[in-house]
Parts: sequence; C-alpha cells; structure tokens
Amino acid sequence: MNGRRQFMAILRKDLIRELRTREMIISMILFVLLAMVIFHYAFSVKEDADLTYFTGGMLWVTFIFAMLLGLNRSFAQEKDERCLDGLLLCPVDRVTIFLAKTAGNLIFLLIIQVVAVPVFTLFFVSRSYVGDLPQFLVVLLLADLGICALGTLLATISMSTRSRDLLLPIIFLPLIVPVLIAATGATTLIFAEGAGFGDLLARVLFLLGFDAIFMVAAYGTYDFAIGE
Amino acid sequence: MKQLVSAPMLFVGAGIFLIVGLLLAFLYAPIDASTMGYSQKIFFYHAPIAETALVAFGVAFVAAILYLRSQDPKWDRLGVVCVRLGLLFSALVMATGMIWGKAAWGTWWDWEPRLTTFLLVCFLYVAYFVLRSVVEEEERRATFAAVFAIIAFIDVPITFFATRFLPAGMHPTVITTSGTGMPGSMFVSFFISMIGMTLLLVALIRRDLGVEELKDRVADLKNSIGG
Amino acid sequence: MTIEEGAKFVAAAYAIILAVLVLYYFLSARRVNALTRDVTLLEQEVRRRRGEAGGE
Repeated sequence: MNGRRQFMAILRKDLIRELRTREMIISMILFVLLAMVIFHYAFSVKEDADLTYFTGGMLWVTFIFAMLLGLNRSFAQEKDERCLDGLLLCPVDRVTIFLAKTAGNLIFLLIIQVVAVPVFTLFFVSRSYVGDLPQFLVVLLLADLGICALGTLLATISMSTRSRDLLLPIIFLPLIVPVLIAATGATTLIFAEGAGFGDLLARVLFLLGFDAIFMVAAYGTYDFAIGE
Repeated sequence: MKQLVSAPMLFVGAGIFLIVGLLLAFLYAPIDASTMGYSQKIFFYHAPIAETALVAFGVAFVAAILYLRSQDPKWDRLGVVCVRLGLLFSALVMATGMIWGKAAWGTWWDWEPRLTTFLLVCFLYVAYFVLRSVVEEEERRATFAAVFAIIAFIDVPITFFATRFLPAGMHPTVITTSGTGMPGSMFVSFFISMIGMTLLLVALIRRDLGVEELKDRVADLKNSIGG
Repeated sequence: MTIEEGAKFVAAAYAIILAVLVLYYFLSARRVNALTRDVTLLEQEVRRRRGEAGGE
C-alpha cells in the first residue's frame, strides 16, 4: 500500500467509526448550541448590547474548546480499545498516521463550524458579511489546519500519560494562543467592519506561516510523540 | 565529585560582572531623558535577565533535539535544568516588568507584547513540568518533554509576533532602549550586566546539572544497598 | 516622575532580583552539600557491607 491509500484507509476507519455511533458529532453540535446560549447570557449585560464585536472571539473560543473535547475522545477510543497498538504494528509511516488523524480532526471541526457559524451569525452579528465570505473561509481553513495539526500532535502525547484529558488543555491552550489572536482579529474585522484580503493579508500570512512551521515540527517529532 | 558540582570561578566571575554593571548603571550611565526617567534604571538588570531566560530556553531546545537524536539521559537532565532556570528568570522578568510598568504607566499590568509573551512563556514552561510529572516511565517522560520543549520554543517568537496584532492598548508606543538610540555609557553598563547574567546562568546550569547527577547517584547507591 | 519617586520602584525591583538569585544560590548550594554527604555515607555503607560479605 502506498502512503495515500494508507492515509485514506485510516481516515475512512475513523469516519466510519464516528458515523456508526454518532455520539461524538451529536454531542458536539449540542455543545456548540449550548455554548451559544451560555455566551448570550454571559455577555448580555445591557438591553441593546451589540455583540457583533465579540462574535469572532466567541466563535474561536467555542471551536478551541470543542476541539479539546474532540481530540480527547478521538484518542481515548484508540487507547481504550487498543486500536492504536494494532495500527502501530502495521507497516505504516508514522507521519501518515499523523496526517490521517489531523484530517479526521479537521473534518470534525468543519462539521462543528458548519453548524456554529450560521447560528452565531444569526443570533449575534448585526450586519451582513456575505460579500466577505471568501476571506472568511480562507481564515477559517488556515486557522483550523493549525489547530488540528498542533492538537493532534499534543493529543498523541497527552493520551499516553497518566492524566490524559487533564493534561491536554494545559499544554494545548498556551501554544494555540497565536492562532486565536490572529483568527479572532481577522474574524472580528470581517464581521464588524467588513475587510478585504488586503486588510487581512498580515493575519492570513501569519496563519499560513504557523501552519507550515508546525506541520514541519510535527513531521519531525511525531515518531517520538507516538512512541513505539 | 566536589569539583564536578561547584563552579566557584564562574560564580565569582558572574558576581564581579554583575556588581560592576550595577555600579556603572547607577553611577556612570545618565538618567534617561525620555518619559521613563529614573525608573529606567530597572532595565539594567531586567533586560539581561530577559535575554538570559530566552537563552536558557534556547539551550533546552537544543538539548531536546540532541536528546531525540541520541536518547542520552544527560541531554534530558540538561533540558530540565535549563527550563527550571529559564522559569526562574522569567518570573524575575515578570516581577520587575510589572514594577517598571507601575512606575512608568501607573498600572501593574498592561497587555503589552513583551510582557504578554513572557506571561505565555511562563504558562508554557510550567506546562512542561506538569507534562513531566504525569509520565512515570523515564525514557518516555524524557521523550515527551523533549518534543514539548521543541514545540514550545518554536512557539515563543510566534506568540510575540501574534501579540502585535492585538489592538494597541493604553500605551501604544513602548519606548525601546535597544538600537542606536542608546547612549554609549548606557550600552556599556547593559553589556556588562548581560555578560554577568549569562555567566550566572552557565554557573547555575553547571551546579544544577551536578545536583541532578548526584541525585541519580544517590538513587543508584540506595538501589544497590537495598538489592 | 521625580528621582525620589522612581527610586522606590528601582529599589524594589533590584531587591527582588537579588533576593531571589541569592536565595536560589544558597538553596542549591545546600542541596549540593546534602547530596554529597548522602553519597559519601552511602558509599561507606556499600564498602562496609562488601567487607562484611568478604569476611564471612
């Protein structure tokens, strides 16, 4: 089997397992909707408060916390059912496992976003940003990629430790702050003021650089993170 | 064993440089002419400590790479020692930075890029120790810690860049003392303190490495007696 | 800001730095002494036991 087919096989396995039980996706969608309600009550401090300026921040906070839950779950199953041991016994390049896992988590995050973005927009954003949709999608995808690549690497480490789900946020959150800053800034600009690619150029390039750097870093260290 | 762990000459050298730097800072360097005034004197140790903290994390980064290549526990020991000292120096940077902020801006805390970056650096490297504490198996702990030290050190400059995207706070123009704007006498005082701090770091690294080795030796001897 | 006002902050900053560094220096020095003593004692013990084993 070549790398591409191995990649597809692992990804398909993860997706099929998810589709069979559906527990993760359904609870994640519920989580997102509940987060929206919670944010609404937490931020409605004034009768006519316009939350447009805060929606970008709310969205990315929701995505990152949802991702934390998703990462923990996706690897907990691998570990509990000893699937990962089987996977490691196969003659598969560790980097292929990393890429497949990252892609799986990316799909998971995108499903959450398909639900969350329209709902948050409908409830919180007071102006239409349909014209800026292409920029928004670029920012979204680039930030997602960074979150998933870094998240997958760190979840692989944290799941082999004594306190897995407690450790992941502690090592993941400080590292993901740069993505949060750039993505939230870009999203807020798009939602609140409308921004073209020119206004977002620095942030988009930054996200691109972040993705590239951590892809390379993960490529170099994943062998060690996943263990023998 | 004694020669291994004590580096008296390094400590003496560091002490001399630090004292001379301090004397120069107060007696030779002029009082800052800009808005910072006298409180700028804090910088003569603050900046060298910040530089030293980053050097310590940099050494930990290199040690991590060397560990992953060789699996030699001595690099893991060096990594732990450097991260611990880096955290100590970072804590000092934060403390003195906040004092300076109070003097110059009137607030203890401002979300200024460098201060914010150091805050995140502290969180990152505290997480390094949390990670170490939850892995029992020695080899695995060293490997995970090395991977994390590499990722964390890469993240530091990225975080610093990212904080530039934040909307400027109440103090948009932070006065930089680096570069050509600094009078020569100030620069000399800075430079001497910087050498002193770096020497101090090297001396502390050597001593702490000795402590780690002694700890291992004690554990070995205890095992041999028990067994 | 006058020199007197600034001096308070400067003094506080340097006091903290020096206190922490000196404290760390002495703590680690004590650590080294304690561990060196442990090693010596343990080595003696190992030698004693080896001697006993040889004498029997």
